[in-house]
Amino acid sequence: MKRRKTLELILTISVLSIAAAGCSKGQSKEEFNFEKEITVVARDAASGTRGAFHEIMKIKVKTDGTETDNLAVGALEFDGTDKVVTAVEGDKHAIGYISVGSLSDRIKASSINGAEPTEENVKNGSYVISRPFLLVTKENKSELVEDFLNFASSSRGQAITKEMKYIPGAEEEAEYTASGLKGTIKVAGSTSVTPLMEKLQEEYKSLNPDVTFEMQSNGSSQGIKAAIDGSYDIGMSSRELKEDESASLQRHVLAIDGIAVILNKNNPINDLSSEEITGIYTGKITSWGQVK
Amino acid sequence: MENVRKSKFNDTVMQSVFFMSAFVSVLAVIAISLFLFLRGIPAIAEIGFMDFIFSEKWGPVNTPASYGILSMIVGSIYVTAGAIVIGVPVGLMCAVFLAEFCPAAIYKIVKPAVNLLAGIPSIIYGFFGMQIVVPYVRDNIGGNGYSILSASIILGIMILPTIISISESSIRSVPGSYKEGSFGLGATKEETIFKVVVPAAKSGVLTAIILGIGRAVGETMAVVMVAGNAVMPLDKIALLKPIRTLTTNIVTEMSYASGLHESSLIATGVVLFVFIVILNASLSLIKSRSSRN
Repeated sequence: MKRRKTLELILTISVLSIAAAGCSKGQSKEEFNFEKEITVVARDAASGTRGAFHEIMKIKVKTDGTETDNLAVGALEFDGTDKVVTAVEGDKHAIGYISVGSLSDRIKASSINGAEPTEENVKNGSYVISRPFLLVTKENKSELVEDFLNFASSSRGQAITKEMKYIPGAEEEAEYTASGLKGTIKVAGSTSVTPLMEKLQEEYKSLNPDVTFEMQSNGSSQGIKAAIDGSYDIGMSSRELKEDESASLQRHVLAIDGIAVILNKNNPINDLSSEEITGIYTGKITSWGQVK
Repeated sequence: MENVRKSKFNDTVMQSVFFMSAFVSVLAVIAISLFLFLRGIPAIAEIGFMDFIFSEKWGPVNTPASYGILSMIVGSIYVTAGAIVIGVPVGLMCAVFLAEFCPAAIYKIVKPAVNLLAGIPSIIYGFFGMQIVVPYVRDNIGGNGYSILSASIILGIMILPTIISISESSIRSVPGSYKEGSFGLGATKEETIFKVVVPAAKSGVLTAIILGIGRAVGETMAVVMVAGNAVMPLDKIALLKPIRTLTTNIVTEMSYASGLHESSLIATGVVLFVFIVILNASLSLIKSRSSRN
């Protein structure tokens, strides 16, 4: 009886130690190899981050009327920022992209054309991968909508934007005082802008308790369309307006969201050019040796 | 008299309660099928049946968009086949061991362990796969780790409990007279088990394998974390390359999809549903055959 107990104990310990040995394998021990194939990590086809990144980096190519995404064959596709980070964290030779707001010390952000993804560089345009979060309205908007937009660009609104780790879009910080207006504001559009918009609305409602919001989160294009035809007061967009859209709309830059190119912490490379990123993501560059 | 009438009334009430309970599950199946087919079939019609099933071009956000899922159908088949190659031999031998050779003391440890394996949520399997299996494959076998092989290993482990418990009980239910007859003819224990008992339990083992296939085909959360989800052209599919299956196609793109893109994902579900119906049909075929013998 005693012997069996010992046996069980030994078995348990050996199983646990095997598991522990497995865990230490989580980080690859091999050296960084410039000849090894780059693990390209992308987001799923419908993601807004992917849409913006692939367009700016010319991975998506437009020729009269057609639009083709030339993402490299065999590029991994994940449906969330967390999975992209985990994949890049575990693989020395990986590259991925996420919103600057989601950066952490599990991975490192590459600078692009020599510019790091800082607030300043995104603002002055030296960091090239960013997308605006826009609020679009008709020219003749109501007093209430005007008041909300003033609030969003006030110091109070900007503080919320910063808190959500986005870069505020407004230049000067105006003070906002509650107007005490009444009514309903109808908002529709981008799912990426929605979380920020909800925070702003919460704060606005605490200042102006008689105002209510109607929110619909259905994508940038839908939001812009709704603002043009007047069925909603404000459209949210996480991409720049197209020419035919901007003709009949007023745009207000709510915030700017940079997209960071992320690398494994063991990758000795710290800077990439736009051309190199395009090459990697379209499969023309396949090993880090071709970048060095 | 009063009492008899009362109990009759109770009977009717309870009967309808039980009938309703049975009806709920049937209703659920009908509702799900209706939803799938009503939303999926128009999408398939709009895309075109041939372009949907027999094209490997998946570009839902391109203009013009293309919605071919052949690569994912092939992917599902490969990953499932891999799971069977890994899971069936291990599971079957484990079942033979548990039923015929296992000392009671070890049985007390192994049997609960197998049952526990069945209860682990698939997201945990996915985590395990992403943190342990993927780096292991990357460092020791090759590629970047997100591959058909990793997915097959995880699925192979996931279908073990199904295969082990059903095979074990079917091996146990083989009549003792078979064994006694075999021993009487001078066969050794090993010969008896592999040439008499396991063949006699064949239909149970086949049932186990088909249920395992069903689990592997439908598994989503674990596969999405280890397979890499790349849509591969058919000629580039390889054991150490990433792959996208029918289930991971739906889960990867559902969150932001709209319009025809969204309906095409539901249509992918229709194809998956047809897969499962075929599996269940073959299951009842096996059952009806074995009961006839």
